[in-house]
Amino acid sequence: MVPNSSHETWDADVIVVGAGPAGSCAALAAARGGLNVVLLERGPFPGSKNMYGGVVYPRILDELIPEWWTTAPIQRWVVKRSTMLLSDTGALNIEYRGTSWGQPPYNGATAFRPDFDNWLADQAVAAGATLLCSTTVTSLVRDERGRVVGVDTDRPDGILRAPLVIACDGVNSFLAKDAGLYPAVDASNFTLGVKETLSLPRSVIDERFGVRDDHGVDIEILGGTAGVNGGGFIYTNSDSVSLGVVLKLPKLAAQSKRPEEIIGELKRHPAIAPLVEGAEILEYSAHVIPEAGLSMMPKMVADGLLVAGDAAALCLAAGIWLEGVNFAMASGMYAGLTAVDSRAAKDSSARLLKKYTDRLEASFVLRDHRKLRRVPELVLSDRVQHSYPSFVTSVVERMFHVDNPNPKPGLRKIVREERKRAGISLRHLLRDGWIGMRGFG
Amino acid sequence: MIAVIIVRDGVLPSGFDEAICEADRRTFLVGSHLSEALPGITPYSQSTWTLDIDTSVVPMPTMASIIAESLRHIGAQGDSIILPSSPDGRDIAPHLAFVLGRALYAGATYVSAEVVTVARRGGLHLVDFRPPSSFVATLQIGVRGADIRNDADGQHDVVDVTASSTASFVSLSRSVEIVEVQPPDASTMDLAEAPRILGGGAGLDDAEAFEQLQRIAGALGASMGVTRVITDRGWADHNRQIGTTGVVVDPRLYISFGISGAVQHTSGLGHPDHIISVNTDAHCPMMQISDVAIVADANGVLSALESLLLARASSGPSQQGDI
Amino acid sequence: MSSARHVVVCVKWTPVEPNVSSSTSTTATIDERFTGMSLADQAALELALHTGEATGSDVIVITAGPAGADKILREALACGATRALRIDMGSAATSMHTADAVASAIDSLPDVGLIWCGDYSSDRGSGSFPAFLAAHLGLEQALGLIRVEFPPTGALPLQVVRRLDGGRRERSIVRAKAVLSVEGSLVRLRRASLSSSLSAQSRPVEVLESTVDDNSGSESSILRPYRPRARTIPAPSGVTPLDRIRSVTEASSPKGSSEPITLEPRDAAEMILQRLQAWGYIS
Ligand SMILES: Cc1cc2nc3c(=O)[nH]c(=O)nc-3n(C[C@H](O)[C@H](O)[C@H](O)COP(=O)(O)OP(=O)(O)OC[C@H]3O[C@@H](n4cnc5c(N)ncnc54)[C@H](O)[C@@H]3O)c2cc1C
Ligand SMILES: Cc1cc2nc3c(=O)[nH]c(=O)nc-3n(C[C@H](O)[C@H](O)[C@H](O)COP(=O)(O)OP(=O)(O)OC[C@H]3O[C@@H](n4cnc5c(N)ncnc54)[C@H](O)[C@@H]3O)c2cc1C
Ligand SMILES: Nc1ncnc2c1ncn2[C@@H]1O[C@H](COP(=O)(O)O)[C@@H](O)[C@H]1O
Repeated sequence: MVPNSSHETWDADVIVVGAGPAGSCAALAAARGGLNVVLLERGPFPGSKNMYGGVVYPRILDELIPEWWTTAPIQRWVVKRSTMLLSDTGALNIEYRGTSWGQPPYNGATAFRPDFDNWLADQAVAAGATLLCSTTVTSLVRDERGRVVGVDTDRPDGILRAPLVIACDGVNSFLAKDAGLYPAVDASNFTLGVKETLSLPRSVIDERFGVRDDHGVDIEILGGTAGVNGGGFIYTNSDSVSLGVVLKLPKLAAQSKRPEEIIGELKRHPAIAPLVEGAEILEYSAHVIPEAGLSMMPKMVADGLLVAGDAAALCLAAGIWLEGVNFAMASGMYAGLTAVDSRAAKDSSARLLKKYTDRLEASFVLRDHRKLRRVPELVLSDRVQHSYPSFVTSVVERMFHVDNPNPKPGLRKIVREERKRAGISLRHLLRDGWIGMRGFG
Repeated sequence: MIAVIIVRDGVLPSGFDEAICEADRRTFLVGSHLSEALPGITPYSQSTWTLDIDTSVVPMPTMASIIAESLRHIGAQGDSIILPSSPDGRDIAPHLAFVLGRALYAGATYVSAEVVTVARRGGLHLVDFRPPSSFVATLQIGVRGADIRNDADGQHDVVDVTASSTASFVSLSRSVEIVEVQPPDASTMDLAEAPRILGGGAGLDDAEAFEQLQRIAGALGASMGVTRVITDRGWADHNRQIGTTGVVVDPRLYISFGISGAVQHTSGLGHPDHIISVNTDAHCPMMQISDVAIVADANGVLSALESLLLARASSGPSQQGDI
Repeated sequence: MSSARHVVVCVKWTPVEPNVSSSTSTTATIDERFTGMSLADQAALELALHTGEATGSDVIVITAGPAGADKILREALACGATRALRIDMGSAATSMHTADAVASAIDSLPDVGLIWCGDYSSDRGSGSFPAFLAAHLGLEQALGLIRVEFPPTGALPLQVVRRLDGGRRERSIVRAKAVLSVEGSLVRLRRASLSSSLSAQSRPVEVLESTVDDNSGSESSILRPYRPRARTIPAPSGVTPLDRIRSVTEASSPKGSSEPITLEPRDAAEMILQRLQAWGYIS
């Protein structure tokens, strides 16, 4: 069906595809602005199939949902963040405890996506958006000039028309590709996230991770992924622990190891085993993540179309750095606000919609991505993956190892010896350090 | 207590023996060609009353009234009633409860004057009730087993209470009329008699997994059975369903993949010598009755099993199952 | 009576994916996200819609339950039901009371033809509601149907098949109004169109006060995990004393003497084959 653009009768002011964090925030912002919003979700309820590591940083919600922390369904507030470097036998743990993170307005929290996404979508519905689940968008509908004027779905009589569509359909966005916004997709830009939810009694978690009440821990792991470039994570929920790995796709394909074997090895690592001992597997899930940051972002705007969240590759998955929900919520919100402008101006051309990218540029969304531009590449590089963890842990081990009656060797000597042994050139070490400083510092 | 057993053309329903034992060996036998059914009752029942009536032509509400009336007639009006949860038992129990104004406990796993235990949520959970002095219950099939009375060769009191007025119902015009009872489908017989069965349940992800299960069963000289959840989803034909409402089997070997072991399923399982179960829930009933209980993803295990079997088949001759 | 003005379908709001570990969770709390209609109720709805189309009659979908149950009524409206009624009741009422309340609602509708139900609900699962409904309405019943054939025109007579025990089947003809219950495998529910799905969200659900005191028939909701009951065994058989002992010990022991072991799929497969070999099933 080719709709007649000269004489439009719209079914809605804006159609939002996908009720993940991006879609629900887009729908919420647009509905608040008085728009007639239809939010389409393919799952039986929002968040039903959405998986992620387990920590959200909802600061951005301050604007949309004041005091969100009073109603958001969270598991535990993250008060401790550690980064662990694993070699085959050793581990180095760098830990930060933020006491203020355990009280309003909070910082990060562990949450289950079926709870969190559902709650967020409820906010959009409360603001007047119409949510329809179990409905998959199958293609964009365009007018004769190529402008997006609606979507087709898998339901009978499935076409829905609106002057603006916001694609929030997640990683590998089918809609953004359909609109030709993606450059050719390269598998090396993706990582595979695999996660197990392990059941442990509340009190055992409190004891093993050194927390209490609704306080929790976020551990990011470098090394320990069995030679496949990637990273790992452990997050504490109320009475379960999420443990997962993020693996670089091409490397994974080249290895004969299956992701579940890699998780199994991580769980058996001497530094990890005591944390998850005796836990029962509640759930196993896997998902692809866009990882390469800014370098693979598609165009986010076309006539009648905005792209937000993972669909726009707005996700930071740099091994130890796993953020996406916050970027999704922010970009969704800016897309929703732009929809309000577009409606007011009765203009949904790419020219007007550029306001959206302007908003992103001005916010942390694109700034963070700029800043961390080269970090994914660094974190996932062979050196960081295979040489540095054992290098660093050996250095530390030798530093703390008491070998009396021999005197302690000097640190500089240890570093030089271990660097040689790990085959790391000084030039590389310095360069990587510089990129890392610029990115993370 | 008294067991009410509906007999059709002399055929006893499954679970009749258990209902009789649970009801202190007092039996009220209702139906047609009862003389053919009586020998089957004798080892279990101490006192039996019979009511000759063609249940298939009498409407349920009328049938229930006749039974209630007859029970009064034999002085059993105060007795609690137990029926086997066979299709006929399940059909009439609510009507009996209705005409008698009594509570119904449908799908009980245990019935006594003090406690009635009922299966819930597809047989995965139990609820205990303290029943009133008289009630109606249907007893799940296969949950208790039946023991022959000590004096099995001794006295069995049979009293006929056939009502005079039943013939008149035959002429009533019916809105639901039974045309015929078909014998068991021949295609279910291979399953019923299979010495080895591989069973698949809701823990398997999709229809393809059942094709795979079928192939693996073939390689092991076994037949494939499924749970009702699977036939409901249309992933396997009705005649593959094991359980109360499906085929009753009695294999030597049963291997279950992603089956929770609801009582309606296990009641149709007979007494295998060996049971192996693969399930992600270590504590579900199926795992509890297994010789080998493996906590693993059944889908993954199926794939691994198939590739192992393929490897075996290609590595040597005569690796077939010894049926 | 092939053109009664109303076809009724009774559906129940239940958990559809009770994804609880049987050892840990026995509470009857309902997580609304995982609720809906059972496959059996969906099949009943599809047949009711078909009946309605074949006879040009209205399809009325009825449920007895709390406000959360409106969700399935909207689903039914989206699929094409004409009217939706909810009898406001707690979900703990017994089937006898629930059927009583639903029967009064049906009695108040003029000219009702067939009444479709699912054969059993996924939570209570007693399969007793349809027969209670028939008892209250004084109607005949055909329960647990696995096949339904419609005549070329109109809704009646129906040729139906249901299962009996022992693998036997019963074939019947339904000539006039009756209560029918169907298994979930019988038909798939149609998919609601996009526009009716959207408009159903704002269509009204009529809410009726329950005519029965639902506290009078409430049932306890304290669930405990299923545990097999000790089975009575037939008197020992066998010629020698040893045989008799074996026959008793083998039949009675609820097995499961072995502890569950957690294995990777590959190892699990190895273990299965190894046991089959040890037991002599494969060489
Ligand atoms: C293993 C892993 C760990 C992660 N850990 C974290 C973490 O700890 N913290 C963090 O902040 N981020 C994390 N992320 C990233 C985060 O999950 C994503 O960035 C975030 O979910 C993006 O939100 P979104 O709304 O853009 O997309 P999604 O959450 O993917 O939502 C897309 C929605 O669209 C729906 N949909 C898709 N296609 C269609 C269609 N055709 N029609 C209708 N609906 C459709 C989907 O069902 C889904 O609900 C992790 C990701 C992975 C894979
Ligand atoms: C009147 C009546 C009659 C019935 N008659 C029958 C009958 O004849 N036959 C019958 O079978 N049922 C019958 N039922 C249905 C019965 O009550 C159960 O609902 C059914 O047997 C459950 O089937 P299931 O074990 O496949 O599914 P579920 O009970 O849903 O169990 C699925 C199991 O798979 C496990 N699992 C999930 N994922 C995985 C995974 N990835 N790997 C391994 N395991 C996994 C779960 O832990 C769970 O134990 C009847 C019910 C009623 C009310
Ligand atoms: N509360 C209810 N409201 C409407 N219909 C019901 C209700 N409970 C049961 N039913 C119907 O009766 C069937 C069998 O349910 P049950 O007797 O609970 O196993 C269901 O599939 C429904 O069609």
